[in-house]
Amino acid sequence: MPRSSQSPKPGARVLVAMSGGVDSSVAAALLVEQGFDVIGATMKLFCYTDDVPDRPCCSLDSIHDAARVAASLDIPHYVLNFEDRFGRDVIDDFVREYSQGRTPIPCVRCNSFTKFRDLTAHADALDCEYVATGHYTVSKDGNLYRGADSGKDQTYFLWGIQRDVVRRMLTPVGSLTKKETRDIARRLGLATADKKESVEICFVPDNNYVKVLEEKLGLDAPALSPGPFVDSSGNALGSHQGFARYTIGQRKGLPGGFPEPMFVTRIEPHERKVVIGPASELFNHKAELKEVNWLADTLRVGDTCHLQIRYRSRPVPARIAESAEPNRLTLELIEPARAVAPGQSGVLYDGSRLLGGGILN
Amino acid sequence: MESTTKTAYLDNAATTPVRPEVLDAMLPYLAPEGVGNPSSAHRFGREAKQAVATAREQIALALGAEPNQVIFTAGGTEADNLAVVGGALAARDAGRPFAVAVSAVEHPGVLEAAYAVERMGGKAIVLPVDESGQVERDALRHALQQGLALVSAMWVNNEVGLIQDIAALADICLEYATPLHTDAVQAVGKIPCTMQDIPLHFLAIAGHKIGAPQGIGAAIVKDRQAVHCITHGGGQQFGLRSGTENVPGIVALGVAVELSVQHQQHDAAQYGALRDFFETKLREIIPNVEVIGARGPRAPHISNVAIPGIDSEAMVMHLDLAGIACSAGSACHTGTVEPSRVLTAIGIPHDLATRSLRFSVYKQTTQTDVQHALDVIPGIVNKVRGLATTLGR
Repeated sequence: MPRSSQSPKPGARVLVAMSGGVDSSVAAALLVEQGFDVIGATMKLFCYTDDVPDRPCCSLDSIHDAARVAASLDIPHYVLNFEDRFGRDVIDDFVREYSQGRTPIPCVRCNSFTKFRDLTAHADALDCEYVATGHYTVSKDGNLYRGADSGKDQTYFLWGIQRDVVRRMLTPVGSLTKKETRDIARRLGLATADKKESVEICFVPDNNYVKVLEEKLGLDAPALSPGPFVDSSGNALGSHQGFARYTIGQRKGLPGGFPEPMFVTRIEPHERKVVIGPASELFNHKAELKEVNWLADTLRVGDTCHLQIRYRSRPVPARIAESAEPNRLTLELIEPARAVAPGQSGVLYDGSRLLGGGILN
Repeated sequence: MESTTKTAYLDNAATTPVRPEVLDAMLPYLAPEGVGNPSSAHRFGREAKQAVATAREQIALALGAEPNQVIFTAGGTEADNLAVVGGALAARDAGRPFAVAVSAVEHPGVLEAAYAVERMGGKAIVLPVDESGQVERDALRHALQQGLALVSAMWVNNEVGLIQDIAALADICLEYATPLHTDAVQAVGKIPCTMQDIPLHFLAIAGHKIGAPQGIGAAIVKDRQAVHCITHGGGQQFGLRSGTENVPGIVALGVAVELSVQHQQHDAAQYGALRDFFETKLREIIPNVEVIGARGPRAPHISNVAIPGIDSEAMVMHLDLAGIACSAGSACHTGTVEPSRVLTAIGIPHDLATRSLRFSVYKQTTQTDVQHALDVIPGIVNKVRGLATTLGR
């Protein structure tokens, strides 16, 4: 595990994405301490309404918190309005994916498009050699590695960024544990030191994504309309209130009365079917990735790596089975993976080094 | 880091520095020996009360009103709210129409107050304006015929500096016996501005646009019966604005209004010369720049310019890093930029409206400041145009 991130170049200009949370606050503070010429920016990503009152990240209060931290560090701070682009690149995609029976991860697209493309364009225009965030990942010598705090590591969400941005990334908290980050925030007296963690999707109030889908798609959208539960042989087992309420591996909200626990094993959006089955039907020996992006040299057929199919799942050893089309990849899993959900990310690692990834198909 | 850059403050329409004479006048009221509460019966209270009375006289004299018509507030927005909401409530309770009409180029302090009236069960009408910001006369007459508690029109618009023909509107309102309120926050000290010859019922001013500190303003209320208080409490200021008076601020406002009105002609010439220098040079440097409102009557201290191909949000940021302070559209409380409602109302296309910057001058502004801005603008425009292309906006 590489500990130090990069050798500081005193005076080099860096644009820090400051969400108003403790991690990016500490990131900015550490960069100031290391002698960088730091500019803070908070991205306004969507229209804030009363629906999102005390969200630790992404609300108006958070913009104020970021501004307060920047003021205490004596660095300039700006609010960048990314509402249109974030809406298009992230929220619209989120809604579209659910409407097609998949389970998207908006944070991946936010990193790929918003933070490390749009924000980086601002960094270019501001003559910033570097961009920094409060991500728990370590950028070193053009590679990204898992963050030192295994419970906080965020590399899973970073596979889609452009490879040439990695060299410009500064990741000051990536080599810290969350506790160390908070300790630094307290030592520096940062206003955000004891702010609670944001764990939900920033634009989804109360963790109720269905409400967002209802607003965007309308209550009568196919994804939110009744459809059948079936087993793997096609036998009808009852009805559900919309397949967008389900994800692969889900156990809650399914019909009862079976000898063993049942899980969602597949979603068939065209027939609005939610297929359920016992745990044994959840395991896959194969994974298909689309929209593949590499942050290391491209692996070839036969090469091995580790594949992680969920944020919290253990990576499994895998072998590249096919890579005929440029942005697609088929992996053969040496150990089976449980509940591979289309729309989630399949992320490739070599030890702690992030190699790339794609969207599970 | 932030302090080492050479700076030029060209955002005086957002807030001006405090004038030295004003600071001198208010400092004794911030001195360690203290100041009394104007409501107190003892000598300290009397002294404070006297200071407030003096400021009332200064303001009344300068603006063509009577001292007992001056109601001090925490700023322009509160003065606007007192006139619009308080005026509408008084009309409602007197059995007159519970409806207000406001121009489409009002400050949010008026526009949002009108919407508050609507939420209380009243009616809010937004009057369209022409391309020089003048309220459409037909629309005004139509609204007046339907019956209104009051009309509100901003004397000098804060984003573009357009001057409303308040005298003409006042005459029309008079025909319908309907009170007229004007937000004169950007007008005082910039253009001749008096209630002497114009039948205005309400007028709002703010200290921090004329060299007094932030947090003090006043509403001039011609007829106290025509307005209800919206701040309830101890009954200070004729019962129209409860709450202990901000004595240092009031003293400052009195002096600031007096000086601003006394020196208006001279100051306006200085502002106008700086603005014209800026706009002439800017047109030379950036040939396709558009000066917003250039054809209408404009107050001399504001220059709103649209630069094709830029992103005004990014421009403000880059200019700030180069030490130049200006605004994109109207400053919003989060600091982000929305396309300006005012620019849209005067017919500026949406695309151009999001590419506009407001530069504004005051007494301390020098030609060197303006030149500094002119020196750095071309390089920044090039960079930001590149960014706007990348981001596709």
